[in-house]
Amino acid sequence: MPIIIFLSDSYEKGKEIAKKTADNLDYKYVDRDILGEIAKRHDITESKLLKALDEMPSLFGFSSKTWHQYLVYIQEGTLKELLDDKVICHGLAAHLYVLGVSHVMKVRILMDPEKMAREIASKEGISVEKAYNIVKQQKELRKKWSLSAFNIDETDLSRYDLVINLSQIDDKEAVDMIAKASTYRKFQPMTYSIRCLHDRELASRVKAVLLKRFPDVRVNATNGTVVIEIKALKREKQKKTRIIKEMVGNMAGVNYVEVHIINDMLRQAIETFR
Amino acid sequence: MSDKLEVLILDDEPIVGKRLKPALTKIGCNVEVFQDPKEALDRIDQKKFDIVVTDIRMDEIDGLQVLDRVVKKSQHTKVIMITGYAMMSVAREAMERGAFDFIAKPFTPNDLREVIDRAAKALGSDINFETTTGTKNG
Repeated sequence: MPIIIFLSDSYEKGKEIAKKTADNLDYKYVDRDILGEIAKRHDITESKLLKALDEMPSLFGFSSKTWHQYLVYIQEGTLKELLDDKVICHGLAAHLYVLGVSHVMKVRILMDPEKMAREIASKEGISVEKAYNIVKQQKELRKKWSLSAFNIDETDLSRYDLVINLSQIDDKEAVDMIAKASTYRKFQPMTYSIRCLHDRELASRVKAVLLKRFPDVRVNATNGTVVIEIKALKREKQKKTRIIKEMVGNMAGVNYVEVHIINDMLRQAIETFR
Repeated sequence: MSDKLEVLILDDEPIVGKRLKPALTKIGCNVEVFQDPKEALDRIDQKKFDIVVTDIRMDEIDGLQVLDRVVKKSQHTKVIMITGYAMMSVAREAMERGAFDFIAKPFTPNDLREVIDRAAKALGSDINFETTTGTKNG
């Protein structure tokens, strides 16, 4: 059965629909509750990971480097969960980094913005107009966040396999539609797609290990072969290649490590003119 | 069904059939290998195969057309698509059109044996792959 990834205009509503779908299909439901465990593994606080999913780097917030580091930890932890069969994932931005895996079905839940504004207005005790502006700002922020984090515009509906507008479809119908779509043959796991998912998981795991020491690292994995790209000076090539191979070579699922060193032009220029 | 699986392998690269045939014969399959899709389709018209393994990208007739012909002829036959140009869109299309599985090249004979094993089980084959598989990478 496919993995189902949810994105909703409202986290709470998305969670509700995702959980009902999980119950309907007898799936495991995964959401931000896994962040505590991920935070523990990397010795940071859960609140920082939560914040990384909702905020962008700023002068008084995260640095860009720290933000991307936290996002890699979230990817690693989420992809690990997705290796299990029959999983529904919500609220972990997985729609932005689980790409090219044919048995991952991406569902976008749309809400009526006016209804959302009315709900916010009543909850926060503000005017509907003001609440409507908040809804609009949130949507803009999500667009900026997704572009900045993964270079993907999550508000682009063509990126999803199924888009459901809850202002026209009720919750039960939505759950039934998602459950029905999950049975389509095109979303069923196959050898290729399972391998793709394992490759993504391995790449994220390797990246999470290397990130602290090599913040600009790029990692690609194919069937146990891991290709790692970092910037370094020519004279550092042998040493860094050795360090990376030592760090990664014995990790589970890694059969072969290839390190590509890209000449760090900036550092080289600085050294030349020093 | 007979105790041997009837398997057709179609790939325009001769090395593919050359490598896969002995690996599948070893686990109890009768294997016929083709490089020309037209010849393969003629053979499919003549004989009922349990499993067809076909490359996707070939000249004149592609693997998806072969898949359509096999599915139209017999729902019994399991079609396994193999390709060096794997993409999500093609994989989904192949599955939607009735492929049993989709494998990206490069793969080992053992990878294919595992898929054949599952196809055999889906066909209700009583071939015991556990005992006939032999060495892991053979």
